[in-house]
Amino acid sequence: MSESTILTTENLDLWYGDTRALRSVSIEVKDRHVTALIGPSGCGKSTLIRCFNRMNDLVDHCRISGSINYHGKNIYANGADPVEIRRAIGMVFQKPNPFPKSVYENVAYGPRVHGISDRKQLDAIVEKSLRNAALWEEVKDRLSESAMGLSGGQQQRLCIARTLAVEPEVILMDEPCSALDPIATSKIESLIDELKKNYCVIIVTHNMQQASRVSDYTGFMYLGEMIEYGETAQIFENPNKELTENYITGRFG
Amino acid sequence: MSEKFHAELAGKKKQILVMSAHSRSMLRDSMVALERNDLRLAESVKKRKEELTHLNETLEEEIYRLIALYQPVARDMRMIVCSLKVIAANERIGRYGKDIANVVIKTINNETKYTDLVTALSLPHMGDLVLSMIDDALRGYELEDLTYISHHSERDDRVDALRHTIFREGITYMMEDPRLITRCTNYLMVARYLERCADHSCKIAEKVYYLVTGERIEIK
Repeated sequence: MSESTILTTENLDLWYGDTRALRSVSIEVKDRHVTALIGPSGCGKSTLIRCFNRMNDLVDHCRISGSINYHGKNIYANGADPVEIRRAIGMVFQKPNPFPKSVYENVAYGPRVHGISDRKQLDAIVEKSLRNAALWEEVKDRLSESAMGLSGGQQQRLCIARTLAVEPEVILMDEPCSALDPIATSKIESLIDELKKNYCVIIVTHNMQQASRVSDYTGFMYLGEMIEYGETAQIFENPNKELTENYITGRFG
Repeated sequence: MSEKFHAELAGKKKQILVMSAHSRSMLRDSMVALERNDLRLAESVKKRKEELTHLNETLEEEIYRLIALYQPVARDMRMIVCSLKVIAANERIGRYGKDIANVVIKTINNETKYTDLVTALSLPHMGDLVLSMIDDALRGYELEDLTYISHHSERDDRVDALRHTIFREGITYMMEDPRLITRCTNYLMVARYLERCADHSCKIAEKVYYLVTGERIEIK
């Protein structure tokens, strides 16, 4: 395992009841890089990203075998704390889902849950998180207004700020731009480029151009298998597997 | 959407091969005109330059349009890269055909002691070698098959060696009869043009290799 590897999966299998959704997936995810997961609907990419912070624990009849190691420790081991894992490995979803609260409270919510109550400290966290999510300038005069009044793109960046507020190391993004217009998408993509300086970002996307634009590594999945995983430039210039080639050139999927 | 793109790309490839046939005919006919001392054929080659320019501009533009509209990746992207190189090489090869036609027009003369010089210098033989290299590079592009270009490097060496021989022979003829200097210098230029055409066929071959394997090589 190289120094910059932060997450690895080893022979990861996942079943929803009798359906096998992941088939022996083994990858290494690099810290401070963007990794994109692509593949047709139902290929297991969202399932895989949800394994990284144990979101699948909430799904009935979901079974996992193999391991996911975060800093070398299996997050599915007995005694691993899912709450702590979800703090360190945050998640942003497809549809912006701010709480029906003020902009400020959305960001302060996580730190409060984790026990921070000092107002000054919270103010600092909120400002820093909003700045890092490239949203501060747009909302600094309306922190007490409802988050529901923000535009879709702003709401999504607010969700990113909310994730950053609890100081994670890894940010999982499950199709973060699919509900956004091209301008808002472009802002999120620029933000991802900034975030990778300090965080590991894993993004699931249906948009292959987006994967090629934002990521350093790309994994192509099909029917629950990781068909090919490598540097993004190589995958999009000269993939090793014919299946990858056929998918990214639009011959199926 | 991708079916539409692949159909368009296949259509462009066909048009590029039509352009290739056009530029190849310019080179071939200029060599025939040189060998037969045929003024009319040389002038017809010159006239074909206009169509060559038109094909070059429109095909290049259409390839740019495909890039802008579809952002091709992987093999599709490599096909685009290779196609642009083929268009550029076609244009150069056709223009060398025109240059050779100009030599024919400049040196037109019915006295056999002059026209025999073309054969004496092995220019028709060199022309055949170069045309077959161009044909094989284009066949490689058409069929996306490396077997046609597998000996391009050695073939290019032979063409280079031949040009060198022609140069030395030309000097001997010029020393023998200084009245031949202008004509002979022109013929040495023809050898130079042919050698450049062989180089362009190598450039096509390099990109065919890239298209098929994704790897870049240099054919010298």
